Amino acid sequence: MTDDTHQHEPQKRLTRSSDDKVIAGVCGGLGRYFGLDPVFFRIGAVALAFVGGAGLLLYLAALLLIPSDAPGAGAAPATQGRSRGLVIAGVVVLLLLAWPFLLGGGFLLAGIGIPLALLVGAGVLVWWLVSGEGPSGDPADIARRAALGVGVLVLCGIIGFGGAFAAAAGPDWIVPALVVAAGLAIVAGAFLRPVRWLVPPALTLALAAGVVAAAGIDLDGGMGKREYRPATVADLEDRYQLGVGELVVDLRGSDLPSGDVPLELDLGIGGARLIVPDDVCVATSADVGVGNVSVFGRDNGGIHVDFEDAPDAAPDATRLVLDAEVGVGEVRVHGNEGELRFRDHDSGHFHDDDPGLNGGGNSACEGTGERASG
Amino acid sequence: MRAARPDIPALVAGLGVLALGGLLLLDALDAIALTFGLFAPVACAVTGAILLASGLSRRE
Repeated sequence: MTDDTHQHEPQKRLTRSSDDKVIAGVCGGLGRYFGLDPVFFRIGAVALAFVGGAGLLLYLAALLLIPSDAPGAGAAPATQGRSRGLVIAGVVVLLLLAWPFLLGGGFLLAGIGIPLALLVGAGVLVWWLVSGEGPSGDPADIARRAALGVGVLVLCGIIGFGGAFAAAAGPDWIVPALVVAAGLAIVAGAFLRPVRWLVPPALTLALAAGVVAAAGIDLDGGMGKREYRPATVADLEDRYQLGVGELVVDLRGSDLPSGDVPLELDLGIGGARLIVPDDVCVATSADVGVGNVSVFGRDNGGIHVDFEDAPDAAPDATRLVLDAEVGVGEVRVHGNEGELRFRDHDSGHFHDDDPGLNGGGNSACEGTGERASG
Repeated sequence: MRAARPDIPALVAGLGVLALGGLLLLDALDAIALTFGLFAPVACAVTGAILLASGLSRRE
């Protein structure tokens, strides 16, 4: 009798659950196999993911190794031949990456293992969103989808950087026109033949161009370091422009007339520095997309920083009226002492709490009209 | 004869991308001044709408 009962018991088999799943049914399958609530396995996986990232790697290994219980998944045949070899190799690599985490020495590999696991996971997720094909089926199919998803991610990265560069360096209307054209193609495709693959690149292009436009990044003016030291007001240009790099305008040797002297600094990405003689008052209007404005030691940083300071100059004194625009980076205005301290800072002798860094303030001015937001 | 039903996720995504492109074009033409305060919520709303439409269509 007992033997008969055993003969008729179905063989217990570990499979991924197709009906109790959050990502790919690994924890649901483990819960069913061990007769426990899958929540325990999910909590364990999440906890391990935060302790060195082993949970992510083990989950991916299980995803490749454990077949799905979905009808037609073809788990057993798919793990034959080349697919089987591929799966075993993948699992070995993942476990080799995972075991140091479990032994507590994984921080050395964290720089490689976690990004790798996140990349593969992101690949599966991206392909899922793009194509609607979830992480089900045989392991080779999952690996294919992960690879295609990573390919889409890489493509989006290239498009993002290329689009951002084109938006910052080229004519203003080109990238927006491309985004509109892509949107029209996707809408038309929705009625004729869906082109879902176009959605991630189009969205990436739009987001990259949007960040460039919102930050006000303009790469006109070239790249590198530009230093200007005009000797007289005749040498002083109304506007200094640079695309990417460091823009320095040093007026300490300039013979500036009394009254208002306008000056415009326009920088895409980098640092713009204005160094003034101690007897010159500076009225500042600075707009920084992302970064920091530092005027005689008063710092304002963040996103879309709008700094206004319009003090009056002493009678017969020079007032420099600065209009600075920087996309991403910093605008710094300081005096002679500040420059000495700045150079000292570059050589490694600067202390953040040093009150003299910026030359002790805009001492040539009378009163202040400071306003900052950001 | 009834027209074929449009692919809703693609339609939502297309309209969202069009909206972003329209904002960028308006900024390029100096009709508006695009800031993070305006762009970030629109970008999040568009991305969310695409994910929502995609997820809901998968459930059907």
